[in-house]
Amino acid sequence: MIFILSALAFGLSRENTTAVEAWHTNSVVMSKDADGNLSQSLLTADDLADYAVNQDQAQVALTPGIMKGAGLREGVMFVGINADDLVSRSITLTKGHLSQNSDELVVSDKLRQKGFKLGQTVELGINNQNFKIVGFAKDAEYNIAPVAYGDIKEWSNVKGVSNRFVASGVVSKKTLVAKSDQVKAYSKAQFLNKMPGYSAQNSTFLFMIVFLIVISVIVVTIFLYILTIQKVENFAVLRAQGIPSRYLALNTLSQTVIIMVSAVALSVILALLVSLVIPTQVPMYFDIPLILLTGLGLVVMGTLGSLIPMGIIARIDPVTVIGG
Amino acid sequence: MEKLVLKNITKQFGSDTNLVTALDDINFTAEDGQLTLILGPSGSGKSTLLTILGGLQRPSQGQVAINGQNIDQLSTKEADQFRLDHIGFVLQSYNLVPYLNVKDQFTLVDQVKPKGNVTAQKFESYLNTLGITKLINKFPTELSGGQTQRVAIARALYTNPDFILADEPTAALDSSRVEEVGQLFKNIAVQEDKAVVVVTHDLRLRAYADRIYQLVDGKISLEEI
Repeated sequence: MIFILSALAFGLSRENTTAVEAWHTNSVVMSKDADGNLSQSLLTADDLADYAVNQDQAQVALTPGIMKGAGLREGVMFVGINADDLVSRSITLTKGHLSQNSDELVVSDKLRQKGFKLGQTVELGINNQNFKIVGFAKDAEYNIAPVAYGDIKEWSNVKGVSNRFVASGVVSKKTLVAKSDQVKAYSKAQFLNKMPGYSAQNSTFLFMIVFLIVISVIVVTIFLYILTIQKVENFAVLRAQGIPSRYLALNTLSQTVIIMVSAVALSVILALLVSLVIPTQVPMYFDIPLILLTGLGLVVMGTLGSLIPMGIIARIDPVTVIGG
Repeated sequence: MEKLVLKNITKQFGSDTNLVTALDDINFTAEDGQLTLILGPSGSGKSTLLTILGGLQRPSQGQVAINGQNIDQLSTKEADQFRLDHIGFVLQSYNLVPYLNVKDQFTLVDQVKPKGNVTAQKFESYLNTLGITKLINKFPTELSGGQTQRVAIARALYTNPDFILADEPTAALDSSRVEEVGQLFKNIAVQEDKAVVVVTHDLRLRAYADRIYQLVDGKISLEEI
């Protein structure tokens, strides 16, 4: 359950951030009034004047919208970008090519799975503007929504705002600072935590996982306690013969480690099998470092849980088996 | 030679009005090559005496000497090592570890006492004498009461102890097995020149004893044979 829930949590969490991760962003500048929500940010050319656009830095223009075409309707995040900057270079195509005209879109692979096709004309934005899908990209989700990369010049039309606003923000590999009162700079962590629902969702999952780990450790401790209680008379005989309680306790400890490592390995295998039968719409992601860390945490916590049975072993009185 | 000597042993439990004297001024001797019986009814203090003989409990007063060494003041760790090196216990119940086969019952000891145990050849002869050679791969649940007790005796002998302490070893056995176990203890005492002490209320074992103590209400007396 811990590994399945972790994979679900991580999968959902990634649906918020894959695009941002793909951009290799370390900091973001946006309008102060947006309060960290990039899709609500509106910047003018004057606001952007101090921020160069190059291979390490890019302007982005975000707005949520509904993409419609051939009977399909899907909520997307339109991300307006410039050619040959940090973001456009970070797009990894799975099919098609990058946009060459302002009426072309490169959209998330998720939309291909939902039925959108290469070359298909779709309507997007408040004015139902027509675009043609020319490419599909992987790792292109922002705040749960699949991303549709388009020309940044089309953004104000799609969003339905005055064309004096030219972008939502600037993303950079470097650490940006606010250079006017109108803008504010965020680190990557601050930016992600300000993403609507992201922090609350992660906290909820984190608490569920932590409680599951606590429950698992309690179950393991009870299991070891019962196992030890059942062996107390045998241990007492061994103690009477002179077998040190340290030897018995260390054996119980090593058994615990073996049980925990085996259980964790089996759990990971079962979780992987479950992921094969879970519908593709449900995002699951197995992050190897996270699995190793969680597994190690479980082994360590389970081993700590064995301290209670070890305490029982230390207190076993061999006299109890004399006189039957 | 006197192997095991108790001098003026008294063991009391509780205090004030709840004070119970389990053993009262006990003097006791067991020697190599002899089977010593401690006979007594339930509640006479036999088990308490056995635990003091085995270094599992300290007496309230008196001295316990084994091979001339006082064991009544040993620390828990020292007492553990002493039992492992010098005493072979045969207990009434829970004798064998249920999830280990007969062979592993012995080799378990090797993990904590790798040296000083009987040689493989010697142990093979014990197994033959005890008639359990063919049981070596069986688990305790596959053994009869008599077989279990013989395996327990073999395990007690495995560490090559100076003396054997047995607690009601015939409690779960029928008459024919009682004779078998009685003769075994006698043979171990004589052939291995070990001091064997059996605590029991089974009078059928009298026939095999070289020395018999009667324990009644915590007081001991040596019986003339």
